[in-house]
Amino acid sequence: MTQLVQKFRRSFFLKVFTLTAVVSIILISFTGSNLYNRLEDGIYREKTASAIAEGRSALQFAEYRLTVATLSPTSDYKALVEEIVNSTNVSAEESGREVALFHSRGLKIKGIAPVNTSNFLKPESIPNQLREQVKKNDEISWERGNLRYVNNREIPGIFIGRVLDIPSLGKFEMYLAYDFVAQQRSVDLIGRSLWGTGLLLLILILLTASIVLRIAIKPIQIAAESAESITAGDLKRRMSINGEDETARLGIAFNQMATTLAEQINRLENLSRIQQRFVSDVSHELRTPLTTIRMAADVIGEAKQSFDPNVARSAELLQSQIEKFEQLLQDLLEVSRFDAEAATLNIARVDIANIVKKCVDDLSIVANEKESEIRFIEPEERILLDADSRRLERIIRNLLTNAIDHSEGRPVDVRIAESPDSVSIGVRDYGIGIEKQYWNRVFDRFWRADPSRSRIRGGTGLGLSIAKEDAALHNGDIKVWGEIGKGANFVLTLPKTSGDVIQEYSLSEYPQ
Amino acid sequence: MTSILVVDDDQDLAEMLGIVLNGVGMEVDLVSRGDEAITVFRNNQPDLVLLDIMLPGADGIEVCKEIRKQSTRVPIVMLTAKSDTHDIVRGLEAGADDYMVKPFKPSELVARIRTRLRRAGGDINGHLTIGDLAIDVVEHSVSRNGKEIPLTRLEFDLLVALAKEPGRVFTREALLGEVWGYRHSTDTRLVNVHVQRLRAKIEHEAENPQIILTVRGVGYKAGGSGARN
Repeated sequence: MTQLVQKFRRSFFLKVFTLTAVVSIILISFTGSNLYNRLEDGIYREKTASAIAEGRSALQFAEYRLTVATLSPTSDYKALVEEIVNSTNVSAEESGREVALFHSRGLKIKGIAPVNTSNFLKPESIPNQLREQVKKNDEISWERGNLRYVNNREIPGIFIGRVLDIPSLGKFEMYLAYDFVAQQRSVDLIGRSLWGTGLLLLILILLTASIVLRIAIKPIQIAAESAESITAGDLKRRMSINGEDETARLGIAFNQMATTLAEQINRLENLSRIQQRFVSDVSHELRTPLTTIRMAADVIGEAKQSFDPNVARSAELLQSQIEKFEQLLQDLLEVSRFDAEAATLNIARVDIANIVKKCVDDLSIVANEKESEIRFIEPEERILLDADSRRLERIIRNLLTNAIDHSEGRPVDVRIAESPDSVSIGVRDYGIGIEKQYWNRVFDRFWRADPSRSRIRGGTGLGLSIAKEDAALHNGDIKVWGEIGKGANFVLTLPKTSGDVIQEYSLSEYPQ
Repeated sequence: MTSILVVDDDQDLAEMLGIVLNGVGMEVDLVSRGDEAITVFRNNQPDLVLLDIMLPGADGIEVCKEIRKQSTRVPIVMLTAKSDTHDIVRGLEAGADDYMVKPFKPSELVARIRTRLRRAGGDINGHLTIGDLAIDVVEHSVSRNGKEIPLTRLEFDLLVALAKEPGRVFTREALLGEVWGYRHSTDTRLVNVHVQRLRAKIEHEAENPQIILTVRGVGYKAGGSGARN
């Protein structure tokens, strides 16, 4: 059911088709029943008029005969009544009429049954209402009803009656019944034809509607499909245009839109390519002079014993700043490579503990300078994974550098955990910490939680952002936890097999 | 005195390189154009060439190929501002032994140059065989059936490193340390490219190597009946 509703909601065709069907059914049944009623009415009215005319004369004739009979003292009233009632001894269906004669109490002659009917017509057939009306006035009255026979046959018809007031004899109620069988048949035929025509009309309308709809929807469908494939990235997709009608205009407008869109995207892509290219070029161009500066600084640095203290210190600062500048340049180039999607992986099977150990050893000196200490809990078993060792090393180095920078002289804990498909490396410090609202901002380029502290920090401000991109290249992820005053925890999780995705995080970023 | 040919179009950098190298007792010739480099190389016969990739006249890759045509022996170290895989591999394939990405530390450059000038197998006096190859460590030559196979110094060093300990599996990192003098580098492209170049020269079929075998997932080892005599 819900499927049907869904299908209905998603299909324009189904909606319009159903609407057309409902409206046509209402219109056809309305006009059909209207027409049927008018025809039926006409047919019955005519028959009613002729029945009344005939009935009137028959009643008059019966009255006349009864009146004449009173003039002769030897009249056989029983036979006369018999004759009047059974003037035809075929049933109404063939003769077209039945007769019923009632006589009121206090009739001045004997031997006549109170009710006489022709052809076993049940006297109860005559509607009570009509009888009341006939008794009340002298005029002729009529009413439609069913002729019911003793053998339970029933046919539709009309009853016409009047009181026959015969002087010196008494009052009779006489009714004539005319059947509507032929009329009923015509009306039924008309009804059936109307039904059939209506149904045929409905089918034709729906057929036309579906053809027209298909023709009308086709361009919309094509437009929708084209739009979808453009959305999916096929910017060259266009609609084919036939003729000059509205659908062709839709096609032309659509194609123009697609062209404009493609041009815009191209322009933006170009701009961004030019920008990336520029960053990369600048970084490259800076390298040669930087090499010269660096060598010059080294030559100066080597001779610093012979300088006075201020010049010697300047030489030291020069050297350390060049180093920083160089690191920044390298990071910038790496970032531009990520932006250009030109970063590639050089995958090999590596022992994660080895790599972490190497980074920890290398950075221990830096940690000691900041009066911090890296505590590495080596895993008991060898953990191997597919990774680009240069990038993996860089991620860990960046996480460690960041932790040492923010450790405030407290230790940094490094641990490794594995699940069947993935490896997690956690780097926890107990220093400044990060507010929850900034957890994910730490990966933004050059982002610093507190700009006023930035000057005393090491690093280029690109380290974590590069780490995140390096992790993403491996289908990995870095998660962060932090709290002001309690430190921060960065957890790198990588799938063990290259090309896989992370199924399970073996370390939580939330500390236990 | 060791003589170094420095080819770089940045005159200041070249001059600075000169100062640094002079400072460690090396003699330096400076050239700023690619096409000039070949002439100067022919005339001066330097012990080592430092070569920039982007050069006017003829680019570093062409110069490298040309120098290799004239001398299989001389070590060539590329200086590059690009650390992109493509350029470095192109340089190595053109015959460069090593590369340095700008900006580099002067001390690192000097160390690298010294490694390249060091005579391989200095601790071994005599001959090595690997497969059907005879290696004369003193003469610095490799021959098969008495016919000499010309190798670059680096290729010779690589072959000697493997042949010294037949059967031992060397990881790429171990080879980088042994042959290139790197302590921390994980740039295995250097090893891969040079093993390919060496195989092309010494193997009967480079596709199906018998002398330098690949140990999948680990590194390389010397195959055949390698032995010291």
